[in-house]
Amino acid sequence: MERRKQWMGWLTTGLVLILAAVAQAATPMSESEKCLVCHGRAPIEPTAVGVEPAAPYVDRTALAASAHSETACFECHRDFASGKHPRQRFRDAQQRKLRYARLCRQCHSDAEITLKPVHARLLEQAQEGVAPVCTDCHGAHNVAPISGGKILQSERRYCLGCHEHPVSTVLQSGETLMLQTDLKVLDGSEHHMLSCSDCHFGFSAQEHPQRNFRTRRDYAIASSDSCKRCHFDKHTRTLESIHYAILNQGNQLAPVCTDCHGAHGIAAVGKDRAFSAKRCKQCHSAVYETYARSIHGNALINEHNQDVPVCIDCHRAHDIVNPLTLEFHDGIPDTCANCHSNKRIMGKYGLSTDVVKTYLSDFHGVTLNFYRKQKEALLKPGRPIAVCTDCHGTHDIASDAESDPRVVKERLLLRCQKCHPEATENFPDAWLSHYEPTLEKAPVVYLVNLSYRIFLPIMVVGLILQILLHIWRYAVNR
Amino acid sequence: MKQQPRRGESIRRFSPLRLTEHWVNAGAIVVLVLTGLAQKFHTLEASQWFVLRVGGIDTIRLIHHAAGAVVILLTLQHILVAFFLVVVRKAQPGMLISRKDFADTLDNLRYYFGVRQSPAVCDRYDYKQKFEYWAILTGQILMTVSGLILWFPTWAARFLPGEFIPVAKALHTNEALLIFLLIAVWHIYNAIFSPDVFPLDTSIFTGRISRERMVHEHPLELARMEGIPVEEVLKERREEMHLLDAQGFLQH
Repeated sequence: MERRKQWMGWLTTGLVLILAAVAQAATPMSESEKCLVCHGRAPIEPTAVGVEPAAPYVDRTALAASAHSETACFECHRDFASGKHPRQRFRDAQQRKLRYARLCRQCHSDAEITLKPVHARLLEQAQEGVAPVCTDCHGAHNVAPISGGKILQSERRYCLGCHEHPVSTVLQSGETLMLQTDLKVLDGSEHHMLSCSDCHFGFSAQEHPQRNFRTRRDYAIASSDSCKRCHFDKHTRTLESIHYAILNQGNQLAPVCTDCHGAHGIAAVGKDRAFSAKRCKQCHSAVYETYARSIHGNALINEHNQDVPVCIDCHRAHDIVNPLTLEFHDGIPDTCANCHSNKRIMGKYGLSTDVVKTYLSDFHGVTLNFYRKQKEALLKPGRPIAVCTDCHGTHDIASDAESDPRVVKERLLLRCQKCHPEATENFPDAWLSHYEPTLEKAPVVYLVNLSYRIFLPIMVVGLILQILLHIWRYAVNR
Repeated sequence: MKQQPRRGESIRRFSPLRLTEHWVNAGAIVVLVLTGLAQKFHTLEASQWFVLRVGGIDTIRLIHHAAGAVVILLTLQHILVAFFLVVVRKAQPGMLISRKDFADTLDNLRYYFGVRQSPAVCDRYDYKQKFEYWAILTGQILMTVSGLILWFPTWAARFLPGEFIPVAKALHTNEALLIFLLIAVWHIYNAIFSPDVFPLDTSIFTGRISRERMVHEHPLELARMEGIPVEEVLKERREEMHLLDAQGFLQH
């Protein structure tokens, strides 16, 4: 029993092996296999001298994964059918590519491919003399099933197949909108890892919806909406900005994301502060010119000093508020304090960090602080109080050390008179110019403070001793 | 012949004018101290709470100026009345500081330390009262001048150097603290917590003082009022103090 079973096993194995060998010998090598004997062996030397090396190498794996995995080589390369191998010569790679791209159209008719809007546009261009090259987007031997279109090559490669050429469209207003972009620009941008459809949502290898814009500005404003899909925090901040408010009022010149940041060439922010200031200059050129002459702007532009404030340091970048409001004005001491109370920055230039403190402890600073508290408590807002910029200027801030003291005083008097119209020549001296009173700077104030600081404790201690003595005497008398 | 008040009786010490002066000055100073300290210590949470509660810094300053104006008028009135009384009425200026006040101070210190048997023999105002009176009067004059400079800085800068404005501020804020401490420590003790008057020295409110206290605190004035030699008053004082001593002794 046992022996018979063993013998049957051996017999079955032997039969299977014999059948397999027979089948192997009987099936002739397929046409495609024959081609791949040579073309699947990488790489094959160029076929012609003096031309760009062609690479008739075929990656077996890519071919097997492609939509054409079941298609025989000669079904596309019909000239090579039934063992023929004609010699082919091309002027250049472009010519070769164009020739081979035509092979696709042997099967894929115009009617079939125009079903996709993206092809319709390409065929229009073909009539204008720019031949579309299927393989630019779809690849050749690795041609992928359309359902998995995104992995054709890269999506970017796919889109750039058209959009790296000077394609354009005419908008309703008659303006021409260029739809061209440059791979180099894309690769150099902060977004080089993104796919086109990450921003141009709605577009893909399958979808190329028709968009209708009235003007180029309309298109720019609408496009910048896609930024908020990722940068929602910045978007919500812009909603509070004066730029957004102006845009909302219908002024289309108000800047949107792409006006400052650029679109395909979007750069990393904060790398070059001078660049940031120049962005604002695009619209605010007069302010920029004034700023460029100021102590801050001059240091930025001529000395490449990265410590000085640029526009966005005071005005903020996204939530830029109207600088003419009382709220902004009242916040100015804080704005200046960002740098002028910072010992690390001020130390480099030998500037005092007491300027904000001395301001806040003087009459104006105290009043301003109370007004701000009152506003928080929803009491009626106070009057505008002189803050840093009222004496020092805003975009035209100059160094006081380098200015003529008489000129400074004259300007200060004019400033004082804005709120104190009856102020006379002596009046500006009431301000101790941010100095803490010392024997040199404000001797009388210093001496008054000093004498009270000495006399007050003596008086209080003396009086308390008197009181204690009195109580002691009373207790002893009892 | 003067009317002679006897033991247990009370004597008129202050006229209604002085009572009114005290009321007005006390009220104004309370207001000035509250609204002033809130500005001096503006960073304190309590000051900010108080300022917002009153209705904002402008309201605080308005109240401070109004109370300041009251003190200015009161001080002016006081000086004018004093001038009138002394020059026209030829009244005795009881608040003038004399050499005797310094002697009294030393006498009293000796008494406190037990070197001397009895306290100093004082007139209508003792040296403590004179010190406080002059500290407050000069203080109020200083506060008036510096306060007016701060209230009307542009006006002040017309005939004063600009630096006088921060000087006025330093003076105002320091002198304010001095007056505040003087009242909070010295005046409140002498008028309320001193064992001589506890729980309250009512003479500035009623205008009257007991003859007993006159014997102890103002023997010279009492002797003059009653037309008796001061020795008699002092004898009375000694007897009462011995009585006190005896009582103390018995209690032990």
